[in-house]
Amino acid sequence: MTNESLTRDVPPNRDLIEERLVVWYFLASIAYLFISMFGGFVMAFQLIRHNPFNGIELLSPGRWRMIHTNAVAYGFIANAFLGNLHWIVPRLTLRPVLSRPLSYLIFGAWQIVVLSTAGGILLGEAQGLEWGETPVWIDPVAQLGLGLVAVNFMAPILKIKGPMYVTLWYFLAAFVWTFLTYAMGNFVPQYFVCGTSAGAVGGLFIHDLVGLFVTPLGWGSMYFFVPILLKKPIWSHGMSMVGFWGLAFFYPLQGIHHFLYTPIPMFLQYGAIVSTIAVEMVVLTVIVNFFGTLKGSSRALATNLPIRWFFTGMVFYAITCAQCALQTTLTFQALIHFTDWVVGHAHLVMFGVFGQWLLGIMTYLFPRLLKTEWASPKLCEWHFWLSAVGLFVMALDLTLAGLFQGWSWAALQPWDASVEISQPFWIVRIFAGIAMFTGQVLFCVNLWKTWQLSPLNVAAVFSGEPSGVSHRTV
Amino acid sequence: MQSNTSRSDWRFTVILAFTILLPCLYGFGGKFLEFIHIFRGNTDGMFAVTPIVNYLLASLGFFCMLAWATMRGMFHDIEAPKNTFWETEEWLDHRETETAR
Ligand code: HEM
Ligand code: HEM
Repeated sequence: MTNESLTRDVPPNRDLIEERLVVWYFLASIAYLFISMFGGFVMAFQLIRHNPFNGIELLSPGRWRMIHTNAVAYGFIANAFLGNLHWIVPRLTLRPVLSRPLSYLIFGAWQIVVLSTAGGILLGEAQGLEWGETPVWIDPVAQLGLGLVAVNFMAPILKIKGPMYVTLWYFLAAFVWTFLTYAMGNFVPQYFVCGTSAGAVGGLFIHDLVGLFVTPLGWGSMYFFVPILLKKPIWSHGMSMVGFWGLAFFYPLQGIHHFLYTPIPMFLQYGAIVSTIAVEMVVLTVIVNFFGTLKGSSRALATNLPIRWFFTGMVFYAITCAQCALQTTLTFQALIHFTDWVVGHAHLVMFGVFGQWLLGIMTYLFPRLLKTEWASPKLCEWHFWLSAVGLFVMALDLTLAGLFQGWSWAALQPWDASVEISQPFWIVRIFAGIAMFTGQVLFCVNLWKTWQLSPLNVAAVFSGEPSGVSHRTV
Repeated sequence: MQSNTSRSDWRFTVILAFTILLPCLYGFGGKFLEFIHIFRGNTDGMFAVTPIVNYLLASLGFFCMLAWATMRGMFHDIEAPKNTFWETEEWLDHRETETAR
């Protein structure tokens, strides 16, 4: 399109993007991050035998562990991605989403789903499915919500004529995958199959949730923001497309790697291992593409904080990749399955990769949304370092703990012995958690101060129309 | 029309496509054979029917999408979208700054 036709056909930015909703989603996301961290601490203190809420049923660590994981996945990560989508999709398609009122309805409905999930879990109503603990009576509402999200965002994407940018491929696929994955995981084992078959579907659900919801939205966002932050196009669009199709064909196969050495037939377990190794190659396309784009601009790592968040996430991704290559083999599984190694992997990838990217995106977008620079770049730096170092210590600590636990079991030591040797690691985890938590508190303080400087006052963002422009970033 | 894709880019993409898609085909073919074995009376494998059917359906959907995209010429000039995206982003930012003045 020429500049004239763009000017004629594309609605003004304020009609194109619902910036207020982006802010709302980001705020909701941060709020759930805090709720989740609270749950993480409750469980972490229980494990070092210092549960401060002993005997209080509503604060039982078992329930708060589920809140920890659910608030992370459906509260922190999903809300941040939804905010992201409201920014990215209209800019890439040059069309607003299908309907503004529908967008607000989805926002409200999604918060109700997440909050009632937490309420249901606290009241002991959790569904017996890992990562799908959402009580059964909320499942249909969540399913409907996901359907509406797909319709709202797919409408502008499907109007595009000609070749699409990789981000839109990922997003399109994610809308369909997430909807189907949620349906498969929450309804099939609950109502249609049982026993080992339900286990196999459960495995498929866990991994498809991370691989077909978090991963494509994360990669799509990365391919959108990194070129903007580095002020140049990505290194190879062709390679990113190879990654996309690789993900599409490999990922659904590998769910059973969560259930190696179970009664699920061995050929399925081997199939999952083969495809897991293939996914490693797919992840590699993303990592190579990022570093290819960064080549020649590495100074940006010192001067541009959002790109540094992406870089750190990418380094953690490479570490995860190496870790995964080991943990998916049967030899290694025998040692680390059921240990804290897996918990280390989960933190490394959920917070270390996707959490870091999302916080980087917020660091970049908040000044644009609030039309002013960050009040304190120093606090931004502290946010980054406390999060990155805290997470690194936590992941390293849990990985080591996992190895010691595995060796202790392999040596046929009594169970109690493995709990005893884990104590120092679990104590270190609390300190690492405190660092991550402090980082997020500083982020909020900075956000509050920035808001005070913003030409939009707090009330405007909750009711009025944001206006004015700023391109300043940290 | 001048292509945005250099020969070496193409070669690199094709090599990567094969390194990634061949193991994928291998995994897929293996799964499909196992599926047939199960139906030939391996009762042990009956466990696996649900996930395998799920996988086959999902992959079929993607296969159709790949065919559709190829036929619509989505991969003709495979590097073009990155430049188009880049230019429209610049234009959007520029317009935003102009409006603010
Ligand atoms: C304040 C910081 C945090 C603390 C103290 C903490 C603590 C914990 C604890 C104690 C568990 C249970 C481990 C077990 O059952 O043995 C856990 C699990 C988990 N946490 Fe965290 N966590 C924190 C932050 C986060 C963040 C920020 C994320 C993601 C964005 C996250 C993602 C997860 C996940 C995905 C699991 C499930 C792991 C699995 O089932 O293997 N955590 N965390
Ligand atoms: C290269 C890609 C990846 C590979 C090869 C991989 C591999 C694995 C394997 C083999 C396990 C099971 C370990 C066990 O239970 O013994 C596992 C668990 C897990 N993975 Fe990944 N993973 C990858 C990417 C991801 C991503 C992108 C996420 C999140 C966004 C993720 C989140 C998790 C979580 C949360 C668990 C623990 C699940 C549970 O609660 O049991 N993984 N991963």
